[in-house]
Amino acid sequence: MSTKKDKLFQKLSDAVVEMNEEEAIRISHEIITEGIDAYEAIENGLSLGMDRAGKLFEEEEYFIPELLLCSDAMYAGLEVLKPHIKLDAQGEKHKVVIGVVEGDTHDIGKNLVKIVLETSGFEVFDLGRDIPPQQFVDKAKEVKANIIAIATLMTTTMEGMERVIRILQQEKVRDEYKVIVGGAPISQSFADKIGADAYAVNAAAAVKIAKRLVG
Amino acid sequence: MAQLKNQMDFQVKFLQPTGTVAATVPVGTTVLAAARQAGILLESPCNGNGTCGKCRVKVAKVIRLACQASVESDLDVEILNRRDSHDVQILQHGHALAITVDNRMSKEYDAATDTTRIVADGEVLGVEVGNTASAHYGIVVDIGTTTLVTALYNLNSGEEIASTAELNPQSHHAQDVLSRIKLASTAEGLQLLHSDFIQALNRMIRVVVEQSEIDLHHIYEIVFSGNTCMLHLAINVNPVSMGKFPYTPAIYGDESYRADQYGIEIAPFAQIYLPPVMSAYVGADITSGVLAAQLEKLKGITLFVDIGTNGEMILAVDGRMVATSTAAGPAFEGMNIACGMRAAPGAIEKFRLDENGETEVTTIGDQPAIGICGSGLVDIIGELVKHGHIRPNGKLAESPFQVTEKVFVSQKDIRQVQLAKGAIRAGIETMLERTGVQAEAVDRVYIAGSFGYHLNPDSLIHIGLLPPTFRDKIEFLGNTSKTGGQAFLLNQSLRRKMAKLVETVEIIELATIGNFDKLFIHCLSF
Repeated sequence: MSTKKDKLFQKLSDAVVEMNEEEAIRISHEIITEGIDAYEAIENGLSLGMDRAGKLFEEEEYFIPELLLCSDAMYAGLEVLKPHIKLDAQGEKHKVVIGVVEGDTHDIGKNLVKIVLETSGFEVFDLGRDIPPQQFVDKAKEVKANIIAIATLMTTTMEGMERVIRILQQEKVRDEYKVIVGGAPISQSFADKIGADAYAVNAAAAVKIAKRLVG
Repeated sequence: MAQLKNQMDFQVKFLQPTGTVAATVPVGTTVLAAARQAGILLESPCNGNGTCGKCRVKVAKVIRLACQASVESDLDVEILNRRDSHDVQILQHGHALAITVDNRMSKEYDAATDTTRIVADGEVLGVEVGNTASAHYGIVVDIGTTTLVTALYNLNSGEEIASTAELNPQSHHAQDVLSRIKLASTAEGLQLLHSDFIQALNRMIRVVVEQSEIDLHHIYEIVFSGNTCMLHLAINVNPVSMGKFPYTPAIYGDESYRADQYGIEIAPFAQIYLPPVMSAYVGADITSGVLAAQLEKLKGITLFVDIGTNGEMILAVDGRMVATSTAAGPAFEGMNIACGMRAAPGAIEKFRLDENGETEVTTIGDQPAIGICGSGLVDIIGELVKHGHIRPNGKLAESPFQVTEKVFVSQKDIRQVQLAKGAIRAGIETMLERTGVQAEAVDRVYIAGSFGYHLNPDSLIHIGLLPPTFRDKIEFLGNTSKTGGQAFLLNQSLRRKMAKLVETVEIIELATIGNFDKLFIHCLSF
């Protein structure tokens, strides 16, 4: 039985990596029919598949379109499996508040990070774009977030990231959240300078770092 | 007596082949800031973000980024050779355009007093001794983010009599428009960028004046054609409001200014004219382009694209226009590319691959290949896609691809090009969708900008920057910012007309389009 289960998980993971939405749905149904635990299938099938896709992205084998197609397959499988999760099976998810800094309306990068974080098991609160620094802090407090993720495409709006961190310090809650920054003009040295916990060069890195920060 | 030094100040000595220069700076100053203070040009296109890696210097025998190294003691800093700071190749021939000479400035000789009056709008601006009516000159400056072109015109005949070009010295401090807006948001930064421009302009004016053997006091009007940010910096206006949503310019052009107030060394009462701009990211250079290409007069459907860091584009349907700009990034300028460089001698500008895998490499100035400029990059990737060495998803079969023994293209470079061309293609698709036009229905595609001129149209299609149906419809117009600027200089009635026209242009802000994400990602593939 366990080999059958492992085989199905492997197939599910492969379906995600191979961007095969229909296969992800088919295997998910098979898992339900076989009476295999849905939560386990998400963890060891779908999520594992996304991890592998993220790795391929890092290795430059995959690019943004593939990563999104993988997440489409993942979501398709999730739709099938989700209703079958036993209520107590799913632990508390780690929470991320994400947004684009004030003054900047470019959000493609942020949306990508949001998708891969969600597919990696994080609960993501998306503030949107052109977000005042205070709003990041308020939302993080409200939802008891673990991570605040801030993005910008524009050199001219980078300072907004620093202001988020200053507000966290002023409100004496800096240690309660991990802050990840990213975007075209951002670098590790900028992240260090403003006192962020991490810099993510791309979406795959963001997931890896987020997992490390809450791990 | 030795100069007293503050205890917390240190001396930084910059060693370069032309001699040593020193600066005294407070502790914690970056080496880059110290270099700027010492008047040394270090390439710092990312304005000290630590992202571009171009400001490498040698400090205590270790290679460091000047923007990341801080001064904690007296230092000797060795300036490393820059490979692409001189001899920039620039297009100086634009699309020919017939313009009626109708100057704003006129010269009237009065025999009774033997003087010549210079008149504009019925007002006497100045008086010269003797009959100088034939000595009547004007200038157009194409203020590119990377390159400055200055051309001198005979205002009586309308002819160009001399022209010269220089690297925009502002690019040493901040390469792209956003970095420049950021630097100019402080008073010192704005002053630095503005005075750099004015100094370069005065240098170029002396060059064209010497070439043509005229008196610089006979230059009466000057047109600044450039993107909206460049216009702000040129007339010393803080562009900070353009750097944040809703991206509002402080000036919109179609205005004249006194040249002497900016220290421009021409006639003391000469004037500067700024052509109208459309938005923060569709500037006077594009208005000049519209004028040069006569877009409002063309029947049928015309697409006008200026390929650069900001890809600006206009779609004209029987003269009615929509415009947009895309954040293409600097890949097409050879930036953020492993072997990327500006269009300078030794840069690969053309590339061919035949069926047997034989390559044909053309470099600027027929020098040994040392890097790849924008047009070469598009050619290389276009050829690799065409011959299946790059898959539709952008994966390079064998990475890196060696173009020559020393010069290569990496997988990361291809990703950069995918992002850049994806942005421009998505902008084009958005405009087509907005106007309800099918790609096949487009009658002509005009590519502007000096970069565009060196491009192979087939490569643009191979990389998917343009759809295949545009084949045989592509025409390179050259530097329309300059030719349009010339039209603005020579004919005053065009100024009013164009100011009115730009008000009717619909500006699309791509970041606010609902499905732009999906479209952009779709456009990343080859």
